[in-house]
Amino acid sequence: MKTGFAVFLAALVALGASWFGFVYGSLAQLGGQKQTVVLQSTDNWPPQRTGEATLGLQIYREYGCAACHTEQIRQTDAANEVSLLSLGDHKPQEFRDFIQSMMIVPELMPASNCIVGNLETWNGDVPVTLYSGDDSTVVSTLAAKLKSVGVKSDARVVALGADIQRGWGTRRSVAADYLYDQPVQLGNLRAGPDLTLIGVREPDVNWQLEHLYAPRSTVKNSTMPAFRALFEVRKKTGGLASSGALVLPPEFAPAGDLEVVPTAEARELAAYLVSLKANVPLYEAPFTPVTTAK
Amino acid sequence: MSDENKSCSNAPQGEPTLNRSAAPMWIIVVTLTLLFFGGLYLDSHGGWFNAKVYTPYNSAERLEAFQPQSGAAAAAAQGKRVYESVCGICHGADGAGKPGQAPPLAGSEWVLTKGDNRLVHIPLQGLAGALSVKGQTWNLNMAAMGVALSDADLAAVLTYLRTSWGNKAGEVTPDEVKKIRAAIGGQPQPLSGDQLTKLPE
Repeated sequence: MKTGFAVFLAALVALGASWFGFVYGSLAQLGGQKQTVVLQSTDNWPPQRTGEATLGLQIYREYGCAACHTEQIRQTDAANEVSLLSLGDHKPQEFRDFIQSMMIVPELMPASNCIVGNLETWNGDVPVTLYSGDDSTVVSTLAAKLKSVGVKSDARVVALGADIQRGWGTRRSVAADYLYDQPVQLGNLRAGPDLTLIGVREPDVNWQLEHLYAPRSTVKNSTMPAFRALFEVRKKTGGLASSGALVLPPEFAPAGDLEVVPTAEARELAAYLVSLKANVPLYEAPFTPVTTAK
Repeated sequence: MSDENKSCSNAPQGEPTLNRSAAPMWIIVVTLTLLFFGGLYLDSHGGWFNAKVYTPYNSAERLEAFQPQSGAAAAAAQGKRVYESVCGICHGADGAGKPGQAPPLAGSEWVLTKGDNRLVHIPLQGLAGALSVKGQTWNLNMAAMGVALSDADLAAVLTYLRTSWGNKAGEVTPDEVKKIRAAIGGQPQPLSGDQLTKLPE
């Protein structure tokens, strides 16, 4: 073969280029992940897991949870929003006129149609979204104008997407979220729900344990198999239940003088599950968190 | 049998050789077109390989536009906005001042005072006459530009010039501005350099 060297070079270039693109490029871009700071706070993200939860990740992996559950939230868009919280002592009609009169402000011009459109069929109920779109100057101008006339409004950044809409996440998942996951359990099939926020949705370790032992006892239509191997069903000592035994509804509890005690593995897995709470805003995935205290 | 004969008779004589001929024009055109559109797509969706930029943000600017606006970052952005529309016209966007128009603010001893009492007085009362800034005497007048600004805007812009262009001094709060504004009262008179020096820092 006279062209052997040329073929070797061509193969080297082709493989080298894809190595650079897929391996080196990604490493250079995301390889140096460190703890970051949560937006508008001094907390670090992600927090280091407890030892029990770190072990739990290996149980999660061992039982193949990632075959049916994902840990990744997708986001299709983001919006800057201004919503009206209370009108103060203004009448709805008066307020509508005020909004119309404000549309000559240069910063608000591009959003005029959107804002006026949102108020067309409005009957005075609050909260109502006045503006939802890209432009952050519209938001700050509008909020300042509303404040100056004594109308209470709220400016926020919201993440949009089907995953977020159904409450599985509050923002998209980013590389920093997986800093302490080894290996990362992204998953690619959602036979069960996404677990990115399971520690926020169900923060109770006992709920998690009960759900693992008898899925239908906590979620009526769950299709998850029961992970009985994680529990020890044993005779009650002296007719009394152990302190760590599950408190199950009668139809799910084993018959007779038996109790269900979670093994160390079960506790680790539950600790891992309640540690999954990627719901804080980061620079790379911003949103305004909902604060209940007002 | 006949098949074998046929294949034998059609067999090429000896080792095939590689012809060095130019690639067809259409392949070159298609490749370049694909590269062009690939480049366009990368430009508009790649975020320039910034590790902080994920979909759906496309670019660092777009990501910046979705940062929640409140707290310190928002105050700084507001200060910059006010500066550029009010103060920057004479003092320059870089705070370096303009000869015959306005002295520099970057590194100015009147900006980098320990407290902010003097600094807040300047935009609220204005200046008249000679004032030495960074070893150079400026004989100019400054109108009370801050009177028309709200307390929050004035505090934000003063904080901006105390923390920009290498300046490192404490921030100015709206409450202090409010207090000093009330102390000055309704008819602000421009300060001379001597009067300004007599004010506590």
